[in-house]
Formats: sequence, C-alpha cells, structure tokens
Amino acid sequence: MNFAVLFAPDFALQAVRRADPELRGKPVALVLGEGRKAVVAQASAEAREVTPGLAVTLAFARCPGLVVRPRDPGAEAEATRLLLAAAFTLSPRVEHTDDGWCTIDLQGTDAARSADQLRACVVELAAAGVAVRAGAAATPLLAYYAAQRAQPVCVVQDAKEFLQPLPLDVAEPTTTHAEILRGWGIATLGQLTALPKDEIGKRLGTEGVRLWERAAGEATRVLRLVEAEKTFMAEWEYEPPIESMEPLLFRLRRFAECVALELRGASVVAERLSLALRLEDDNEHRRDFRLPEPSANVEAWMRVFHAHLESVTTAARVVGVRLVALPARPPEKQDGLFETGLRDPALFWENLARVGAIVGDDCVGTPVVLDTWRPDAITLEKPAETVPPPEDDPVHPPRGLTLRRLRPPWPARVECAAERPTAIDSDLVCDTIRECIGPFRLGGQWWKPQDAWCVEVWQAETTSGAIYQLARTRAGWCVEGVLD
Amino acid sequence: MAYTELHARSAFSFLRGGSDPDALGRAAGHCHLPALALCDRNGVYGAVRLHMAAKEHGFRALVGCELVMEDDTVVPVIVATKDGYHGLCELLTTAHLRSAKGEGRVRWSELAVANGGLIALTGDEEGPVRHAWLRRGANAADAAGQKLMRIFGPDRLCVELQRHLLLDEEEQNDFLIDWARMNGLPLVATNGVTHATPRARNVADIFTCVRAHTTLDKAGRRLARNGERHVKGHAAMAALFSDLPEAITNTERIAERIAFTIDQLGYQFPDFDRVPHGQTQIEYLRRMTYFGAQQRYGSIVGDVESQLQRELALIDKLGFSGYFLIVWDLCAFARESGIMVQGRGSAANSAVCYALGITAVDPVGRKLLFERFLSEGRTDWPDIDLDLPSGDDRERVIQHVYERYGRRGAAMTANVISLRGKSTMREVGKAFGLPEDVLDRFSSLFHSGDYPQTVETKQQLKAAGFTDDARLEVLLDTCQQVYALPRHLGQHSGGMVLSAGNLSRFVPLENASMPGRSVLQWDKTDCEDLGLVKIDLLGLGMVAALQDAAKICAARKEPVDFARIPTDDPAVFKMMQEADTVGCFQIESRAQMATLPRMRPQTFYDVAIQVAIIRPGPIQGDAVNPYLERRNGRQPVTYPDERTRPILERTLGVVLFQEQILRIAMDLGGFSAAEADELRRAIGFTRSDERLNRMKDKLAVAMSRNGVSAEASAYILKSLASFALYGFPESHALSFALIAYASAWMKVHRPAAFYVGIINNMPMGFYSVASLIQDGKRHGLRFLPPCIERSDEDSRVDSTDTIRLGLKTVRGLRQKTIRDAVATRQKAPFHSLEDFLQRTRFNPTERRALALIGALNGLSAHRRAALWRVEAQDVDDELFRGVPIENEMSLSPLEMMTHIERLRADYSSLGFTVGAHPMALARPYLPDALPAETLKTTRAGARVKIAGSVACRQRPGTAKGFVFVTLEDETGTANAIIRPQLFERERLVINLEPALVITGRLQNEQGVIHVMAEEIAGLPTLGLPEQASHNYH
Repeated sequence: MNFAVLFAPDFALQAVRRADPELRGKPVALVLGEGRKAVVAQASAEAREVTPGLAVTLAFARCPGLVVRPRDPGAEAEATRLLLAAAFTLSPRVEHTDDGWCTIDLQGTDAARSADQLRACVVELAAAGVAVRAGAAATPLLAYYAAQRAQPVCVVQDAKEFLQPLPLDVAEPTTTHAEILRGWGIATLGQLTALPKDEIGKRLGTEGVRLWERAAGEATRVLRLVEAEKTFMAEWEYEPPIESMEPLLFRLRRFAECVALELRGASVVAERLSLALRLEDDNEHRRDFRLPEPSANVEAWMRVFHAHLESVTTAARVVGVRLVALPARPPEKQDGLFETGLRDPALFWENLARVGAIVGDDCVGTPVVLDTWRPDAITLEKPAETVPPPEDDPVHPPRGLTLRRLRPPWPARVECAAERPTAIDSDLVCDTIRECIGPFRLGGQWWKPQDAWCVEVWQAETTSGAIYQLARTRAGWCVEGVLD
Repeated sequence: MAYTELHARSAFSFLRGGSDPDALGRAAGHCHLPALALCDRNGVYGAVRLHMAAKEHGFRALVGCELVMEDDTVVPVIVATKDGYHGLCELLTTAHLRSAKGEGRVRWSELAVANGGLIALTGDEEGPVRHAWLRRGANAADAAGQKLMRIFGPDRLCVELQRHLLLDEEEQNDFLIDWARMNGLPLVATNGVTHATPRARNVADIFTCVRAHTTLDKAGRRLARNGERHVKGHAAMAALFSDLPEAITNTERIAERIAFTIDQLGYQFPDFDRVPHGQTQIEYLRRMTYFGAQQRYGSIVGDVESQLQRELALIDKLGFSGYFLIVWDLCAFARESGIMVQGRGSAANSAVCYALGITAVDPVGRKLLFERFLSEGRTDWPDIDLDLPSGDDRERVIQHVYERYGRRGAAMTANVISLRGKSTMREVGKAFGLPEDVLDRFSSLFHSGDYPQTVETKQQLKAAGFTDDARLEVLLDTCQQVYALPRHLGQHSGGMVLSAGNLSRFVPLENASMPGRSVLQWDKTDCEDLGLVKIDLLGLGMVAALQDAAKICAARKEPVDFARIPTDDPAVFKMMQEADTVGCFQIESRAQMATLPRMRPQTFYDVAIQVAIIRPGPIQGDAVNPYLERRNGRQPVTYPDERTRPILERTLGVVLFQEQILRIAMDLGGFSAAEADELRRAIGFTRSDERLNRMKDKLAVAMSRNGVSAEASAYILKSLASFALYGFPESHALSFALIAYASAWMKVHRPAAFYVGIINNMPMGFYSVASLIQDGKRHGLRFLPPCIERSDEDSRVDSTDTIRLGLKTVRGLRQKTIRDAVATRQKAPFHSLEDFLQRTRFNPTERRALALIGALNGLSAHRRAALWRVEAQDVDDELFRGVPIENEMSLSPLEMMTHIERLRADYSSLGFTVGAHPMALARPYLPDALPAETLKTTRAGARVKIAGSVACRQRPGTAKGFVFVTLEDETGTANAIIRPQLFERERLVINLEPALVITGRLQNEQGVIHVMAEEIAGLPTLGLPEQASHNYH
C-alpha cells in the first residue's frame, strides 16, 4: 500500500454539526440553493426519509423536526484544518484533494505500522468530531475508493476483487455517462469493466475510456502536496456573543484537538499556551499559561483552561476566543525583514482607536449621508484610505440661506394658531414668530412600526429677525437649526 | 372656480400607480372634484373604469395619457376632442406594435404630426422640461419647453406646477413660473396623483420596489418622500397655491375646453360585406336563416315559424343583422376548413343561431328563453361564443379574422392579470425583504383556489417562518391594499373585438406575448360597457379530440356524424350511471363521478342537468341535494311559489339555471326584458357585488309587492346570489351536454378513436395519458407502445380494440425530426437499426429515448441492444470518430431490461406505460391495502387502507375546506375525503408526495364510494415512477 486516503462523508454537514453542539442528536440537513430551488445536499442519519436532492419543502414534510442549515465555510475550514493536521501525523506528503478528502503518500513508510496509525487516526478524528473513513491501496484513486467503502478502515490487497462490486457512482461518471450506463443496466464497476474498453471508447469517447480506467483501478496520478499549518493558533468569533462557560470550553476543546495534532505533525509540543477572550465591550481578557510540562495532550490543556475559566468573570459577553500554542522549539525570527516602512497609516489607525476609546467607537469615522429622506440621517463609516476626487459642480448650486443644524436638536414648546406656529419657547430661543413657511412633510419606514417616522418642518422668522427651522415629530416640537 | 385634477395615474400604469380607477373615482367623488383626468402610462387602460366610477360618484372622467417618449421623458396629454382621442389611440398603437410588450416609445416626429385635439402638460419630474432642468439646467429646460411649444402651440400647452410639501420643490417651480410667463403659457396646478388616499402611499412604495427589484430597506430615496400625491380637493389645492390662484382656476378652464368623454367613441361593428347585390343585410340574413331552418326542421311552421319571425324582427330592429351574418360567416369558414365549431352560451337560446348552424341545440324544441340572449330592452350586443378545437385549428380561425378585418381592425380582448393571494404575498413579501424560503413555504401552505382559506393568513405566515410580530400587521395590511390591483395585461382566452374601420382608432392595440396576436387595452367588461362587440373564439380540447376521433372513424369506414348520433342510447346512459366517465367532457371529474350514480341520467336533458348541477352556483344555493332527493322520490316536489311551477317544473322545483332566475324575475317580480337583462349582467359582473346587491334589493321589493311570500322570496334571492358564484345558463348547459354526450357516446361505441382523439390532444381534461391508458385497458383496449417502424407522429387506431401510440408521446422528440423520420420510412421501411440511424436525423438524446422505451425493438434484439448500438452513432470524440462498428445484433454485451427497469424507462421517457400499473409492483409490499376495485364490495363503515399514485387533488370552494384525493392503482381509482384539520396537519405530504397510503372509514352512499381519511402517509420508498396528477383546478 503506497497511498492512504482520509475521507469524511457528508463533510460539509459534519463540519456544521461539529461547530454547533446544539445540533447533536437532531435531524439536520444541509441545503443547497435558495428559495424554491433549495434542495437537500446532505442529511444526518436522524433525518429519516430525507435524502439528497429532495426539495426542502418535501424534506420538512417527511421530517417535521428537521433543522436545515446552509454550508458554513468557517466550520468547514476548521474541520479541514483538523483533517489535514491528522494526515500530517501519518506522513509529511499530504494532498488536500477535496473537501473532506485528503490523500497521503505513504511510500517509504512501514506498511504494518501505517495501517495501525491509520486506525488510530480515524479514532482520534472521530473523538474530535469528524467521522472519517480511511482507505489504503496501491494508487491514490484506489485508496479513495477503499476509503469510500471502508468501515471505517479498508486496506486493499487485491484491487480487482475489491473493485468488482463497487457501485458505478464511485468512479464518478459524468451525468450523461451515468444516464447512458444506467440505461445499459450497468450498476457496478465490475459490470463496466466487463465491457470491452475499446467499445466503450467508440460509444462514450475519451472520457468514457477514462471512466473505464478509473473503474478498473488503472488510473494513477501525481499528488499536489500541501504544506502543514504551523501557526499553532486557532480563533473563533461568536455570533451571538456567549455568556456561559460551556460553549467556550466546547470551542477550546475543538481548538486544542486541532492545534495538538498540528504540533504533533510538526514533531513539536506546546511549551506555553496563550488564551485571549475578546469581549463585547471591546476589552480583551488575556492569559498566558506556562505548561508545567511541554505537551500536546488535549486533556492536560483542557484541565488548565477549565481551572482558570472557573474563576473568571468578565464584564461583558465574550465575542471571540483565540488560542495560541508556543512550540517547544520556536522558529527563528528575522525582525524587520518585512517591514513596509508605512508607519503613518498605522499611527493614524492607532490614534483613531485611541480617540474611539475615549469618545466611543460609534462616534468615530467619516460621516456619510444615508440613502433615506429622513433629515440629518447619517452614519459613520471607516475613513477611506484614499481621498476621493472632487465631485462635479451641481447643476443648481444651493440657493438661499444655509441651515446650521443643531445636533442634537433643541426641544421646544411651540404655540400654534390655525395650525401654524406663532411662538417658540426653548433653551435656545424664546420669541414670537413673525412669519413662517411650511409645513413641509417627510415620512418613511412605515413598514417597520417601531422605526416608522414622520416629520413636519417649518421655517420660522422670529420678531428678532432670526430664522429657525422647527420640526414636529411624534416626540413633539424641536428647533432643528438656524438659517443664516 | 373649482380645482380639477388634470394629472392622475392609476394602478393601470402598472407599478407606477397605487390605486385602481375605482378608488380614484371614489376619492374624486369624496373631494367633490368636478373632473379628473386619468393619465396612465402609455395607455388608456383605466379610462372605462374611471368613466363608470365617475358616473357613480358624480364627476367627469377626462381621458389622458402619459406618453413615454423616445428619450424616456414623459409627456402628459389630455384628450380634448374625439379626433384627438382617435389620434392618440393610433399614436399609441403605432408605438406599441413596433415594440416588445411594455416597451413602446412615442417618437417626437410622430407626436409632431398626431397631436390635434390633445392638450399637453409640461409634466412632472419625468416631464421633458423638469427632467432637463434637473439634469442640465435652465437652458436645456427652455429648449425642451420650446420643443413642446412647437408641437402643441401656446393654446394647447400648459406649464404644470406641483406642490407636495417638500422643501426643495419651489426652486423648480420658480423656474417654471418664470418660463411660463416669459412664453405666455398658462400655469396649471396638478397634484401628480399616484394614489387615491394618503394611506395608499404604501402601495406606491411597494410598486417602486417591485419595479426596481429591491426591498423597502434598500430602496432609499427611490421611495416617496411623503404621502401627498393623493387626490386632493379644491380647498387643499387652493391653499397650496394661494400665491398662484390662476394655477387653480386654469385647471377648470382647461376642463371646460374638453368636449370628449370615453363614451363618445363612435365605435361601430362592421357590416357584413358579402351581401349579394341588391339585398340588404336583414334580407340576406332572413334568407339564410330560412334556408337553414328548412334543413334543420324540415318544415317551418307553428312555434318554429313564429320564433324565427320574432327573432328576425328583433334583430332587424336592433340592427344586429350584420353581426349574425359575420358570426355565420366565421362558422362557415371553420366548416369549410374542416374545423368543428359550435356556438355555446346564450346564443343557444336563439332559433336563428340554430338555423344558421351557429349552435346545435334546438331552442324551440327545448323551450329555451330567447330573452336570455336578446331582448328589446337590451342596450348591449348579444353574446355569441364559439367553441373550436384547441390548438392550431382555433389559431387558424383567429388568424382568419385578422386577415379578414385587418391587423388594426381586430384584436384580442385584454385580460387584466391582478395580484392575488400568493402573488400579492410574493411581491409585498419581497419588498419587505422576506427571505425567499419563507415566501416559498408560504406559497406551499397557501392555496389559490376559490375556497376560503382554513387557516388565517397570519398563521400561515408564521408557519412559513415569518416571526416578526411587529411587522406582521403592517405586512398584512399592505397585502390587503395591494390585493386585486392590476399587475400586467394578458389576453383573454378567446374574445376578439372587431370594428368597422380601424379598431386602433377606438382603443390602443398592443402586441400580445403570443406571436401574431394583438391585444387591446380593455378587458371584456370594459368593452361591454362601451359597446365594443366581442366574439369569443374559445378553444376546447374535447372539440379537438372529437374532431380527430371523427376523422379516424371516417377513415376506418365507421363515420360518425355528431349531429345525428341518437341522444337516447341506453349504453351511454348506463356508462354514465356507473360513473365510468374517465375522459368524458365535463362529467369526468371526481365530483361529477360522485354524483352520477345518484343522478342516474336517463335522457339527454339529464346530462344537461348533470353538467350544470356540479357548479359552485347550485352547490352554494343548496340545489344539489334537494334535486337529487326529489329525483329519486325521497322528497316531494314543491315550488317556492305556485307561480314558479311552469318555470321550475323541469328541474323539480329547484332553481338550476340562470334562465329560471330571469324568468322568475319577470313573472314574479314584474321585471321587464331590459330589467331582466340588467339582472343578467349583474350576475355576471365579477368585479364587485354592488350591482348584484342593488338588483337583489329591487327584486325583493318587486316580489313582495306581487305577493310572493317572505320564505319564497328568500329562497329565490339566495339562488340569485349563488348564481353570481358561477352557474350555468340552461342553453350553455345544453351546448356542453351535447359535447359531453358525444364524448360519452364515442367512449361507448368508438372507444379506440375516443382515446386516440384525447391522447393526441393532450394536455386536456382531468386525467394524464397514464390514467387514460389504464382506463382504456380496463375497457378492453390494447395499447401498443411507440415504435419507429410502425408509429406515426400521432397515435392511431390499428383495429377496433388496438391503439398504436404515436411518436409524439415520447418526451423530448422534436416534431420536425419525427415528421422527417415518418416520411423517410414511408418511402422505404427501415430494414435495420443501421439503416434507421443512417436515414434519420434524431440527435443522441432522441435516439437514446427511442431505444430506452423500446421504440427500436423491431430493429434490435431488445431495448439495451438498441441502446448499445445507438450510442456508437456519431460519437462526439475526435479520437473515436469513424471507427467501424460491428453488427450490433450479435455483439451487444448488455443484458435485457427487467420488468421494473422497463417500467421506469417508460415513465421517464413517456410518462406512462402500456404495461402493468406501477402499483401492481408495489402491491406485495402493501398486503393490507385494498385494491380500488374491491371497495365496491367492502362493507361500508369498515376501516380500510388504500394506496396508489395520486391522480387528482381537489379542494372545491364549496366544500368548506375538505380536500378530495383520487388514488389510482392497477385496478382503478379510489377517492378519499380529507377533513380540513387533517389536511392542515399533513398538507405538505398530501400536496407533494406523488403516491399516498390513506387509511380511513369506507363510505358507500348510493354507490358513491369514498374513504374518509384518518391517516395519511407518503409512499416514497418503493422507487415507483411518478405519475402526473391533476391538482386543484
């Protein structure tokens, strides 16, 4: 056996379930597509009668308690990292062949030992929440076929005997070829390879011949190797933020399992662990642990975390967690080699962050007018790093007096006669109104009862000659600004 | 002077207006406006409705239009004179007919020529002047204004000012005021109305989102700034323009200059232009009528003579001779072209129509009420509907009308597609930003049928996953406002309007989506309201099927003349009494089948009653059970009033037909013929109940005055109300009964031709080809599968009991390739598969389909041998192209298909099998499920389990939420009734699973068998092929 494959069936679904402890034991389906076209892509064993390709509406009909989820790229990335980390414990030559599928070049390793290691690897991954099947054979493709059929480990000794009963889908025919072969009554690889290869070529062309070769286990290829992850760091953002220790420990265990495998793949252990909890109030709770004994033992790490977290109370909810393991043999570092010299932008952002810390982050940024008719509706956006070109002069430059807005507006008491303001009384101005124009009316967001707004605006000149813009909302009158 | 609104858009501007013309009319009436001009976008779609509303609410409806110009600016024009209106219609027709649907643009050069009789406004922000001012400044605006001045001159161009309580609009108005004064043009105030009331602003916002494919949250400044663009009265507008009083007074001055209203169209129905020299139309009509009557009746004496004389005199008096001749001419064209045609509806009340061969029911012999068709007091034109074979033949007749009367002389009536339950929620939901999956789920839960929903919309929305309680009420309220507003214009199923001269002078014409068709901008009620004459050329699948079947019989030397088949055939009635009516016109539905054993038709008239009785009208009017009970002698025959005896005698004292209601109104209510006709129109008016309620009140008073008891009056009024829900006129029922009887006769006496006629004209009727074949087999027919050596394009009769299915039943085969292959084979038979492949042009997918269903079996050992060979033809691969293929017969290494494999192949490529029903294969896995045929002999009340493919799902509006499901198995069909609660619980299973297992109590009432469902489950795991079903139609 020269190659091994670790294959996680329904990988995307496994990743989603692994990332969310609440899905444990529930019927879950992963859906593809949106709206009416949404179909089940993968379904857990608990979702009885729900099969891939089934319309989601029908899936609900068949399994009323079904939980449907879309694919989660973050969870998949995390599970992939774990899978690859496990693969690197078997050999340094690893290919990330596809989602939930990695191929390992075992050439030069002890076959018997490799088989045992493969079994151990499957157990370890299962404990970490990824159920894999492992196959080992003479070619990458055969190893993949073996993995697909494994329960959970399959080592192929006789390729022909192994391939014969496998279903045709294993060799991944194109849709057209699958349809043609179904019409022919070909259901297994053995049935396909029983047909003359050249006759297949005459009917299904070159692609058909490749399919035949795959079915015969003849196809081989060169692996596209990947590098092992060596940051020994893992982090996660919580959405929504968490308040209890349980989900935190769940996540830390997932981190620990992955990082520990990566350490082992790199033949190192952790000397120190650094745990950082990012809080909703933007503070960070950080703690470094020097392990009494450098190790890659997940349970030992978890004991340390558990002991610490039991005594921790944070002022705000946790929005993120990061774990970094410092290997016992840290890599050399060449300070300054990649320095860009672009210090000003950094300083700018740093200063901005400092300002934000004083006035609040929501008060820092570049004001941008929102796409709404609501007066003075702006938002603060992250300042642009480049200055935009000046806009063309407007066709009609502003005319008349300029409005100086009061932010916030000044509450006022306004007297009216014949539904027109006649006097203002506020901390800013207390005067009678000589003349006014209005009302001007604006309103919006009627579709959101809690956010619906309407405002009636008047421009009023007081006896003193000042001109104010008054506004009446559901909350009452206010002075919005001064026109001058 | 009072303010007149000169610029309003309705929802007929399609997504640019938030209220329908009726609502605008109500608002105008409420505000006491003297007049309102409806300027819908590129059309006069809402003009008639506003005109009718104006009559009701006491103001003048002015006709206008927003012309979308080639540069995308919009010029509002108001029609001042009749010539102006004709010019506008021609202008719009020209713009629409050269463009794709909804994309018509008027050219400035055309407007420069065709503007007489029109008054133009400079428009709102989309108008040429403001549009230019906003984007390019004052000089550009002046240039745009000058262009309008050159076209309309200072007398017919007004500068439009709008004030919507916005801070920044005065700058534009200042420019417009200065420009108007500089050019000596009048200022007019308008409110640029887009919705009737402030509240309807929501609808306008929703439509903005729909138009822009966005949500309310993302639409931003595309939404309205406030709700001020509603209909306002004089006081409000005068206050807004207190500084410019002339802008208000000018509106009325303009209104005073407008002489035209939409009822002054000057429309005329064309004369019949082929009257022999020296004869008038009525003379020619009389001659042809008497000639026809002679042939129909043998001799013209007694009742026949007096009826003909009476009708012809009335036709002459009302000036309808040309109309009858034109319809007669159309029928003649159809017959000469070998196309079956039969008049239906109230025309069947006319002896003239019968004599002319327009209809096939003898109104004299059957004592039908002529006044239902035509009466002296009638102001509108009689309604003649022609049933034609659906498909190409009907299209030939329609195209003949276009050729005969010109592309601008005839057009299809519009059908206004309105927002209904599901579509309303989809559009509004999308605008609210509801996720697609929630909307999809809602659609799955919501039924569009004509029955009341058994679950509140609110609960359905929650069940669909919309849990935002705060927005729920607003969403529902908005849906309610949007509901029933027009979404776009479709075409009526067959109504064609003809005109003397160009029809496009009276109403703008547009291209229909269907090539070769044009459609006018009004629906049938609008046309009727304005006196535009419509002839309905309706397509019936069964007419096409019977026509084909007759041709087959003639070719087989067993000719059938439907006019002469005996109408008292016991075998036909026996089949009906046994509800063995799959495939028979109008009496094949589950509800009809459930009534036939109780009704037990014995005469042709019974068939007419059978056709008419299973309708919402009689069902809602509680007419069905009393009639059946009286018929079977279990209830005495009584009459609501003794004076109704002559009217209701034929229907055993029960009101079943519209004519009976009209006659009662005349006899007991003292209604004149004209009043009876008004009542008929009120019954048929579907847009609102108001007309009918008025007539009901009038009739109630009249009956009371004539001494009709309160109880009898209540019964009659209830029957009247129920007919508004859809009930048949007797003449219509008789016309349909002719077709129903003919189809049943064919099923009994020419079964092979009957099934072939239907199969060749699918889709039609209630049942799929799969169900029809199973039914045919139960009647002793043999169906042979499609075969490349023997089949034609269509299915055909090979012998009295053998049908060869046609190649067009194979899914995915192109018609032309089939025709070419059949033609090739007719020159010389295919002598081998190789020969077939060489001489035909089927593509690989088609060849594969043919091999898969066994159509090539005659040329190869078996299906798979054929599959093996056809794949080697023209392989699309450079490397293998041209490599020689050995003799396929000896070399195919593939095994023969098993039974189940053949079944699956048949269903995948044909949708049916000529072999055993799929349920026969599932039977061993369902040992406790009873076959359908055994239900007849099972004890009523027993708890039974039935299983089968779903053939039909129904939820009639009259069934109070009950659902009826028909399951088909290898022995026949079984019907199940599902209670509303069970349906709501298992809705998705019932609606989505192709095969079901239903457990419940067996009911057997007078031979009508149902299973009252208690448990329902899908049958998904047996891997049986899916069968098409007829759902909720």
